[in-house]
Amino acid sequence: MATLSLDALRKTYPNGFTALHGIDLAIDDGELIVVVGPSGCGKSTLLRMLAGLESISDGELAIDGRRVNDLEPAERDIAMVFQNYALYPHMSVADNMGYALKNRGVPKAERRRKVEETARLIGLEDLLDRRPRQLSGGQRQRVAMGRAIVREPKVFLFDEPLSNLDAKLRVQMRIEIRRLQKRLGVTAVYVTHDQVEAMTLADRLVVMNGGHIEQVGTPMHLYERPASRFVAGFIGSPAMNFLDARRADGDLALPCGTRIATSHEVHNDAVCLGIRPEHLSRVSEADDTTLTTRVELVEPLGADTLAHVRLDGQEEPLVARLDGVQPVAEGDTLYLRPDASRLHLFDLDTGRRLDDKDIHSCPSSPSSRLA
Amino acid sequence: MATFQRHRLTPWILLAPQLAIVAVFFFWPAAQAVLQAFYVEDPFGLGRTFVAFENFTRVLASAEYYRALGITVAFSIGVALGAMALALLLAVLADRVIKGAHAYKTLLIWPYAVAPAVAGVLWMFMLAPELGLVSAWLGALGIDWNHQLNGGQAMALVVMASVWKQMSYNFVFFLAGLQAIPRSLLEAAAIDGAGPWRRFWTITFPLLSPTSFFLLVMNSVYAFFETFGTIDATTAGGPGGATRTLVYKVFEDGFVGYDLGSSAAQSVLLMLLVGLLTLLQFRYLERKVQY
Repeated sequence: MATLSLDALRKTYPNGFTALHGIDLAIDDGELIVVVGPSGCGKSTLLRMLAGLESISDGELAIDGRRVNDLEPAERDIAMVFQNYALYPHMSVADNMGYALKNRGVPKAERRRKVEETARLIGLEDLLDRRPRQLSGGQRQRVAMGRAIVREPKVFLFDEPLSNLDAKLRVQMRIEIRRLQKRLGVTAVYVTHDQVEAMTLADRLVVMNGGHIEQVGTPMHLYERPASRFVAGFIGSPAMNFLDARRADGDLALPCGTRIATSHEVHNDAVCLGIRPEHLSRVSEADDTTLTTRVELVEPLGADTLAHVRLDGQEEPLVARLDGVQPVAEGDTLYLRPDASRLHLFDLDTGRRLDDKDIHSCPSSPSSRLA
Repeated sequence: MATFQRHRLTPWILLAPQLAIVAVFFFWPAAQAVLQAFYVEDPFGLGRTFVAFENFTRVLASAEYYRALGITVAFSIGVALGAMALALLLAVLADRVIKGAHAYKTLLIWPYAVAPAVAGVLWMFMLAPELGLVSAWLGALGIDWNHQLNGGQAMALVVMASVWKQMSYNFVFFLAGLQAIPRSLLEAAAIDGAGPWRRFWTITFPLLSPTSFFLLVMNSVYAFFETFGTIDATTAGGPGGATRTLVYKVFEDGFVGYDLGSSAAQSVLLMLLVGLLTLLQFRYLERKVQY
């Protein structure tokens, strides 16, 4: 039960490398924030700074309005779930969960009661006497969760907690984490590189890149109005297609000759056009608003079919998400029409969204760019 | 399977050189020692008489033997605990060093490359009553150091020299053990509210227990057998037998006193003792080891 406030947090290592260039973020009580980004973007460093495992070079971190920059991890009242679970191998499940309580001097009887209560909550009551190595991956994950829950901390920190699980278990645990977090109402920061995990879990999503925050917002907001080409390419699966386009009489002209009518008021001559795979639809006849493409690869997913297609003069192949089972095969010619109302335009040089006057959707970006 | 059976001889041929070395340098002398323990031989090796267990009964009835046993136990406990505790301390410190870690580690491993006798002489010179540097300092502090006369100081000297030498070996294993402990466990413990001291005793130390157990066995064997050179070069078992351990007594009785039968009987007893000790360690301590 806490708010978290990050004010211009910076991390510079002794060798001069700056991992974080000023991170601003306000996290509400009970909110689940997912920090997502490619490896090396600084998301884990940020989490470790919140935990107190990394020092803060500059800026201020406050939990419930109290500055915690210089507090030891133990004094911050946070709990962390590690990627490799970090269970103490020489302790039973019960001792693992009770370790933090023991360190705080909670009496044995109360400790036992709390551990059993938490174990019931997450379905571990039959495993309390086991050692971590006698557990499966999913069970270990549960113990790590239990160890965090039993302490009733102000903030949960998750460092890619599901990345060591198999796909099915990952989906199951994802739902469980969400359920538990809502039920307990604890503020949580969750770091992952998996954008599906990020989309499904987050109240608000923080997309990071190169030590900056690219955009903060609800998953759907980020999907609908990505603030930059980077966010656009990162959120959504399969990733957004990007094409170079030129402005021509209020329309957009592609190198292949296709013209797309757009309502966007664009002043640049050349722009980067983003089209999501699900916003390309198949048409039977070619006209000047369609793309004529050649199919290179077909991925039938059951509900959808992904067609990897090549457009003349375009280096990167495009991906189109087609409804259901489509009669397409490698080598076929496919006519695709982009949904003109769901296009995204980005500046070729800066990668920023062009039609987005609503700069508030990415509050930290302009300042962090300057930093 | 069929292919292997056709070459039933090949493994033995490949093993032969190693087996020959073990046979000539270990099994044959060991068998000789066991055999000799049942005979009384004249000092010049001209004749011997079978005496059954008399060598053993004589040894086990002598007060000298029990004194040496007591000295050996005290010495071994001192050496094993001293060498392990210091090595653990140094390993923990070296594990935290970031700059110049390689140089530190190399320097700390160095004493292992020094021959036992040289190590002994080194310490003997530092603490020599008449010309030693350290003994001069001790003298300035009002401590009258003379291990040639004082039995307790002689014991301290051989323990120090043996500890110094064995410490490097232990250091390497403890350092490897420490580095095998995942960083995230200690971080998790820090978040769980354990301070550095508590983290060490509740996480690091239990996780080092396989290493510690292995080293305890190795250090016991070292203290019982391999400190002969150190003792011989520094105190030669003196003064007045104050540092005469069992292995040193085997040497003294056999090659100084020429009582080969008794010496052989003692070495058989020593072997049984160390075997028993190791067995006990495995039987009772290993259960408490966390793997």
